[in-house]
Amino acid sequence: MDIAHLQKLNEIIFENILDGIIMVDRNYRILTANRSIERWTEKPASDLIDKDCRDIFQNIPWICPDCVAEVTFQTGKVHTVMQIGDHKGSTYYAELSAYPIMDKSGEITECVVFIKDVTERMLYQEKILGSYSKVIQKNEYLEGIIENSADAIVTADLNGTVTSWNKGAELIYGFTEHEVIEKYLPFIPDSIMDVEREYIERIKKGETIKHVETMRKAKDGTVFEVSITMSPVKAASGEIIGFSCISRDISNRKIIERELINRNQELSRLFFISSAMRGTLELERLLRMVLTAVTMGDGLGFNRAILFLVDEDKNVLKVAMGVGHTSHEEAFQIWGRLSLEKKTLSDIMYEIETGSLKKDSLFDKLSRGIEIPLSEETILTMAVKEKKPFNIQNVIEEPLSDVVLVQQLGTYAYAVSPLISRDKVIGAIWVDNLFNRRPIFDEDMRFLSAFSNHVATAIESARLFERITLAEQELENIFESISDMVYFISEDYVVKSINKAVSDRLGKPSEEIIGKKCYEVFHGLKEPWANCPHYKTVDEKKAFVKEVEDPYLGGTFIISSSPIFDTTGKSIGTVNVVSDITELKNLRERLIMTERLAALGEVAARVAHEIRNPLVSLGGFAKRLEKKLDGNLKEYADIIAKEVERLEGILSEILGFVKETRIIKEIVNSNKLVDDVLFLIKSEIDEKGILLDKELGEPVDLYVDPNRMKEALLNILTNAVQAVGSNGTISIKTFVKNNAFVVEIKDSGVGIAEEDLPFIFDPFFTTKKIGTGLGLTITHRITEEHKGSIEVESEPNKGSTFRVFIPLNKVADKK
Amino acid sequence: MKILVVDDDMHIQRLYKEELEEEGYEVVIASNGKEAIELFDSETPDIVTLDILLPDVDGIRLLRQMKEKNPKLPIIMSTAYDYRDDFAVWASEAYIVKSSDLDELKSTIKKLLGKQ
Repeated sequence: MDIAHLQKLNEIIFENILDGIIMVDRNYRILTANRSIERWTEKPASDLIDKDCRDIFQNIPWICPDCVAEVTFQTGKVHTVMQIGDHKGSTYYAELSAYPIMDKSGEITECVVFIKDVTERMLYQEKILGSYSKVIQKNEYLEGIIENSADAIVTADLNGTVTSWNKGAELIYGFTEHEVIEKYLPFIPDSIMDVEREYIERIKKGETIKHVETMRKAKDGTVFEVSITMSPVKAASGEIIGFSCISRDISNRKIIERELINRNQELSRLFFISSAMRGTLELERLLRMVLTAVTMGDGLGFNRAILFLVDEDKNVLKVAMGVGHTSHEEAFQIWGRLSLEKKTLSDIMYEIETGSLKKDSLFDKLSRGIEIPLSEETILTMAVKEKKPFNIQNVIEEPLSDVVLVQQLGTYAYAVSPLISRDKVIGAIWVDNLFNRRPIFDEDMRFLSAFSNHVATAIESARLFERITLAEQELENIFESISDMVYFISEDYVVKSINKAVSDRLGKPSEEIIGKKCYEVFHGLKEPWANCPHYKTVDEKKAFVKEVEDPYLGGTFIISSSPIFDTTGKSIGTVNVVSDITELKNLRERLIMTERLAALGEVAARVAHEIRNPLVSLGGFAKRLEKKLDGNLKEYADIIAKEVERLEGILSEILGFVKETRIIKEIVNSNKLVDDVLFLIKSEIDEKGILLDKELGEPVDLYVDPNRMKEALLNILTNAVQAVGSNGTISIKTFVKNNAFVVEIKDSGVGIAEEDLPFIFDPFFTTKKIGTGLGLTITHRITEEHKGSIEVESEPNKGSTFRVFIPLNKVADKK
Repeated sequence: MKILVVDDDMHIQRLYKEELEEEGYEVVIASNGKEAIELFDSETPDIVTLDILLPDVDGIRLLRQMKEKNPKLPIIMSTAYDYRDDFAVWASEAYIVKSSDLDELKSTIKKLLGKQ
């Protein structure tokens, strides 16, 4: 680079530099000046050349380049001064520096003076200084506060290492600053370490935790309640580097507060909660209300609560519902939200009572399966069995802790209060404070116990209500499914409600019955039916039962009509239960007949004596007379004897018919039975010269009364013998058909007229000159008594065929 | 052969007595249970006809008492009413319904005494 070029460069720098520059000789004559000097001189730089510097700056007294140059001329050194003055109403700071310029001999001939405007820098510096002094002042003040504060004020880095520790902290926690600095926060009980970490995590996100009530541990190990406020500590860059924690011992305050609040509010809370619950009879809703009251801050303030109910059938304690959070995170979120929403306990109670039931929480699901057998010896079962509450501070130290709760719910300390209703334990409330680790105090227990008593009564009511609801549904089902007709009628005969049986019996859908007048739908009448018991029931306000024949419905009915009253006791109509007893009545009539016959049988024995005995004497002595008399007298005696015999015969038949038959069944060989009958009548058959065609099938076992059955068959055979006359044929066959033993008796006799056939089993029906007409009636009855049947085929003058069917399954049953 | 007839009807007593004596039997008569047992012991009959309806005791009980005393002695139940379905009478050797025709009674007695 040549000199000319350097010269040029110097000139450029010289002209463009922001500092004003002048060069003076020893006489302070200005040799050169740059353009920046114009800021101070307010004259063009060229005007300054060769002027006396002292003149030029005379009007700017606070800038004195010659003063600076003078020192440099004298000392030969660079000299710098700060000059302050007013310029156009503002304070200006100028920094003047004089640089000596020497000639070849080393003598200072000239000086270059730089005038730098340092106003901004100086003002800024002043501000900093002012701030600094303020900061120092404040710091002192703060430190004073910190040091003298009754609150423990501690700062720590994000790892929890203590960075400062005030006197308050020393007083409250017992540790000296020296003991804790550079150590991990010493005052956090192990049990809430998790919670504390959670707080630190939140601080890392810039949150401030205000007035949280928690637990702290002193140097001597005592745990006490504090209210803490934790705030992030930021570096100048804004980065969070630690936190401060101000804790206030609130044990005393808490105690006083509790005493006051508990005494004054306990009753009102209980009153509110229990009155809210008493109004809620839906068990599920009630349980949720109970547990919400237990877990809400406004309520009992526990973290988690489970309601156990005693299942008497299984003899276990069963979880009915659980309320609480599943994790710390969830707990904090929800607590945060609740405090934001500012919902009071009564708001939430109202929501539960009126809103739709929310889905079960995860905790609820987690706890629901839990069952604790009452036969086991655990804290929960003891609470139930001994009817007293338990407060377990540490599950590890309590051997009877409920293992299932520790394992499944992670509880470390809990309390249990039995639910006692009318001196009976119906369940228990279990609570813990897993998330904030707050110990459960005696006050909590008192409150919990008092609450439990109210809850138990409410639950018992709700259970009763639930049972009533179930019973109502059951009644409704019964009402619908009952085969009797059931219906409600208002006082003015309008059908209000009916069951299915009514619409079935009337053959109409319920819409066509309800709302109509009862006499129209039930009796087809235009005005009330005279026999209707409804009117009488309404009139007398008493239940009334009547048996009526209803020609419209075509049957006999028992109507039970009862008055119904509204809650004020006013009669509003009747409920009627109608049984169709048409069939029953028929049966009943037959029963009455049978009873009459039985009664007849009772007297028959006595009557027989009264009649038969005289007949026997009469006939017997007539016969004796007959032997001893001759001629007409002998004939008369014979007539008497014969007529007596006839009377005896009639008596036997009649007595045999009315006699109460007692069937004595036994297992009988079918062929032997038939052979026995044939033996009885053999003499008659032989006497008349009747051809007997006997064809007996494979013998089977019959379970019958052999005497009665023989009598039945004998009557048919006797008729056959009488019907065929001499040289006729009687064939008797046996076989098995349709699970019945069949005896077929066929004769070649006179047969039965077609018009007579339907009557042959009727009592006293006979076409014969002899006999009572009871034979076939008795046969028919005996067959029926054996659950058998008789078939008859007959053609006049060709003969008759009788088939007696005796069921075989009775034999199988017997065997 | 001695027959004990137990019946409370005096006409029947006489009828049986005359008819059976004509058949060659010795006949003793009892009108009630007490007499029947006394005569049963004192007269040692060969056969007994026994009515069921008696004034002091029912014939079934009498039948049992006599069977206890002498199980082999034949007893004919002779009644106005048909008790054949009553198994209690099965303990007797025979059962007949009283009739003005005494042939059945006579043949039964003959048959039972003939067996002995």
